[in-house]
Amino acid sequence: MSAISELSSISRKKGKATPEEKKANSRDNKAAYIFLLPWLVGLIAITIGPMLMSLYLSFTDYNLLQPPEWVGLENFTRMLTDARLHNSLGVTFTYVFIGVPLQLAVALLIALVLDKGMRGLPFYRSVFYLPSLLGGSVAVAILWKQIFGTTGLVNQVLAMFGIQGPGWISDPSTALGSIILLHVWTFGAPMIIFLAGLRQIPTMYYEAAKVDGATTLQQFWRITMPMLSPIIFFNLVLQIIGSFQSFTQAFIVSGGNGGPSDSTMFFTLYLYQKGFGQFDMGYASAMAWLLLVIIGIFTAINFIASKYWVFYDD
Amino acid sequence: MTTKLETLPTPETAGAGKPTNRRKPKVRESRGTLAFSKAQRSKALMKHAILILAGGLMIYPLLWMVVSSLRPNELIFREPGLWLNSLEMSNYTSGWSALTHPFGHYMINSAIVVIGSILGNLISCSMAAYAFARLQFTAKKLLFGIMLLTIMLPFHVVIVPQYILFSQIGWVNTFWPLIVPKLLATEAFFVFLMVQFIRGIPRELDEAARIDGAGHPRIFLRLILPLMVPALATTTIFTFIWTWNDFFGALIYLTDPDMFTVPVALRAFVDSQSATSWGSLFAMSIVSLLPVFLVFLFGQRFLIKGIATTGIK
Amino acid sequence: MPLFSRPASAAKQSAETPTTGSRRPLRKTGLVAAAAAVVMALSACGGGAASESADGPVELRFSWWGGDKRAQLTQEAIKQFEAENPNIKIKPEFGDWSGYWDKLATQVAANDAPDIIQMDEKYITEYSSRGALLDLSKYEIDTSKLDEAALNAGKSEDGLTGIAAGINAATILANPKVFEAAGVPLPDDSTWTWQDFERIATEITAKSPQGTYGAAAYGTDEASLGVWLRQNGKSLYTSDGKLGFEPSDIADWWAFLKQLSEKKAVPSASEVVEAEAAPLDQSGLATGKNGMAFWWSNQAPALEKASGGDLKILRFPTKTGKADDAGLWYKASQFWSASSRTKHPEETAKFIDFLANDVKAGETLLADRGVYPNSDVRAAIEPKLTPADVKVVKFIDQIKDELGEAPAPPPKGAGSIQEIIKRYTSEVLFERLSTEEAGKKAHDEMKSAISS
Repeated sequence: MSAISELSSISRKKGKATPEEKKANSRDNKAAYIFLLPWLVGLIAITIGPMLMSLYLSFTDYNLLQPPEWVGLENFTRMLTDARLHNSLGVTFTYVFIGVPLQLAVALLIALVLDKGMRGLPFYRSVFYLPSLLGGSVAVAILWKQIFGTTGLVNQVLAMFGIQGPGWISDPSTALGSIILLHVWTFGAPMIIFLAGLRQIPTMYYEAAKVDGATTLQQFWRITMPMLSPIIFFNLVLQIIGSFQSFTQAFIVSGGNGGPSDSTMFFTLYLYQKGFGQFDMGYASAMAWLLLVIIGIFTAINFIASKYWVFYDD
Repeated sequence: MTTKLETLPTPETAGAGKPTNRRKPKVRESRGTLAFSKAQRSKALMKHAILILAGGLMIYPLLWMVVSSLRPNELIFREPGLWLNSLEMSNYTSGWSALTHPFGHYMINSAIVVIGSILGNLISCSMAAYAFARLQFTAKKLLFGIMLLTIMLPFHVVIVPQYILFSQIGWVNTFWPLIVPKLLATEAFFVFLMVQFIRGIPRELDEAARIDGAGHPRIFLRLILPLMVPALATTTIFTFIWTWNDFFGALIYLTDPDMFTVPVALRAFVDSQSATSWGSLFAMSIVSLLPVFLVFLFGQRFLIKGIATTGIK
Repeated sequence: MPLFSRPASAAKQSAETPTTGSRRPLRKTGLVAAAAAVVMALSACGGGAASESADGPVELRFSWWGGDKRAQLTQEAIKQFEAENPNIKIKPEFGDWSGYWDKLATQVAANDAPDIIQMDEKYITEYSSRGALLDLSKYEIDTSKLDEAALNAGKSEDGLTGIAAGINAATILANPKVFEAAGVPLPDDSTWTWQDFERIATEITAKSPQGTYGAAAYGTDEASLGVWLRQNGKSLYTSDGKLGFEPSDIADWWAFLKQLSEKKAVPSASEVVEAEAAPLDQSGLATGKNGMAFWWSNQAPALEKASGGDLKILRFPTKTGKADDAGLWYKASQFWSASSRTKHPEETAKFIDFLANDVKAGETLLADRGVYPNSDVRAAIEPKLTPADVKVVKFIDQIKDELGEAPAPPPKGAGSIQEIIKRYTSEVLFERLSTEEAGKKAHDEMKSAISS
């Protein structure tokens, strides 16, 4: 039996629980809740209360300075006619559907290259991770302007070829693109997770595949992809969730106003402006729950689709 | 890295009682010692060249920041290049002592929060993850769904209720609101991450250990934890970086300048209505990047340990 | 312990119309009610922690925004106050502008506001109309020496909720170096008109190297719009809290900006947007890329320092060529306000009185927050001021007799006006909207922002 077919038999093995296993499982309840205890306490004491509070606030008019007043569905009906909100949804969707695949592809590619034994590996890993260390530092805004400003590095290079580049971060037609690029630039986190995942794949599979004469590409599709699929799935789910909530980069680059002309007005940025800038926390809470529903739908789709391409060894 | 791979534990510690006769594990080939053919060598050279070019592009902005921190303030925005005419260390010395406390004070504050958060995340998230990945219990799917839900709500709308909560307990202006949630596994990101990793560990190992009479605590501590070192290292590194860079939480909860963490202190250099000391800001940004970078350099060794080095299956 | 803090005035209202309004819905939704109860229960258990002893030293929290220099000066002033008042301890809290407001809103919402709050004109009505700020006129603060216009800026129907910490005026700052390099003489600001402004700016751009412009664009804040409207007999807001202008007025304002832009008197649309997000010391004026720019007078010293040379403070141009028609006014650069829920209003007032009227405070703070509104303090500290600060003081004194009527205080919701102006300015400059469309849309949006 070749390693590859062996592998697929393992990964497909979703055996039903035997009676004995079921008996064993029923014993897990006590142990499970003990293991879950810290998380449950945190959930009940810290997370759920504020979450439900925000749900309640989404049905109120709440300006932060005075007690909330119940207004029923008014916040939600207001959202239907809020053109800026619709625009912000468009911006966010564009960002998610372009930024996430792009960033994950780059992260996976670099992780694959770096996983193969080569000299200077720790060095490269660090170099590629460095940009992600910066986080939401104020310095990022300055750096980005130095590169993509009207007189920034990119335009200086273009000028050498006689091209007059636009102000990448200040032109409404390119500003979102530059933020997506900033997002891709910080691919360090998914790259690290991919690297750790790659390390979990037993090397013997590859050796067996080599013996069977599989090409590198075949190895990638038949071994790496299935074995890495739980991790790819994790990155995909979390990156989608994270990108829908993306806030810091746009906030820093646009100075918090989502400009120019709302072209980088992300949903959460608008939510923040409503809540803290315009003291409309009721509306902001309603927006948050709308986003939660949207993210929830996409995550559910992800989980359903995962049955067809993610392989667990259990 | 080849040296690390040579010290492999034998599989009997883990997979001893397995019924199926599996292929004997092999050590990953130590490529460094293999003689390269010419084609291979030029291919490797190409790869290095591309990586260095890509890497250079990646970190150009950072290099510019480093160079800028060594320039006098008034030259910083006049020169986009990386060329240094003179070495100006004054940004570092003046930046270090520009605020109420020496900058090291804020780094210690940050370190306290970071260490607490790391310990919290490692312990609480791995426990929850073990339950979700390996145990059968009532309402498992529901709780897992709720856990995912908690990541999905934008944090801006829970800030106010959470602040009310912590201020009523009297925790404002302490590090507790920044650490305690981590001790209680509220960062579902890491729970989910570890769940995914544990699910990648062959179940046969658990079963074998269970046949040997090991209970859940033992399986968790002796088997799963050692096997998920990459996930734990990932958690440690991410927690370090994210907590070290966390601005909003620290901003809201720490009011006393004595308690400021690094990101909040860095903002003190920025004055939107007046002049900003960019040189000092860049210099201290770099100083504050150093610990993170060192942790990453050191920590990444653990990322590459794990199943690959134990060679099971 | 109530779930949401109630400002004093709100509590009064709710006594008349019982709280059923906010309680009934809780009953409706069982799950939410349960959650709310959890939070409430948690809230209740630690409520009394912040009590203080009756005769021990009183501790006040004092919060402001600003950079490290302001922090040093202000902490110095605090020390002097504490030396005179050993029974009062002031705990400083400070941060940068944007974080400051998030934090303040959160603290007020949680009934945890600082006692002394540095307030801005943009938000003062927001906070005072919702009962978050103390009426300082009921406490012992000497206002007799304060400039009247600045004092009025802190007054509203909710009482005196802010004492001006500094006086400002809208100005045009000119960089003589840029003028010289282009061979264009500086204008006489007591007689110049908007036509002169356009001509001069266009000429500078034409005679300067590429990338240098005669003037920075206006349209990024409400000050330049305010001046324009006042010169046309309108105003930004009326005294009853409405917009004081028509869509066509703001459209005209943008039309002139567009005209400037087409003649390259001001930078390209992209550069304008970039300049908006740029910090002060990277503005075109500071880097020598703009001959003139619109700034508040108290920003002149910082800009002068950043530009590394001399700057000239100019009056706004007028339609008529008479400085008396410039329509300028004294604006409070920022206010000292107090939380309406402070437990120590007397001590808080005492500290604000010290900041506003004490020469010692003045000698420490100098002109960091603008020209001192107290004329005695202003005179006493003048020898200590830097030449740049003196220049500002002179300008403020100079225009005193030309000032127009003090503008109405910004209504509730005015905090978002600047953002609306900015957004539509870029729509106009990028030619995504005509000036008329932008005028109409912006007017609509502003109207709904301040009426909600």
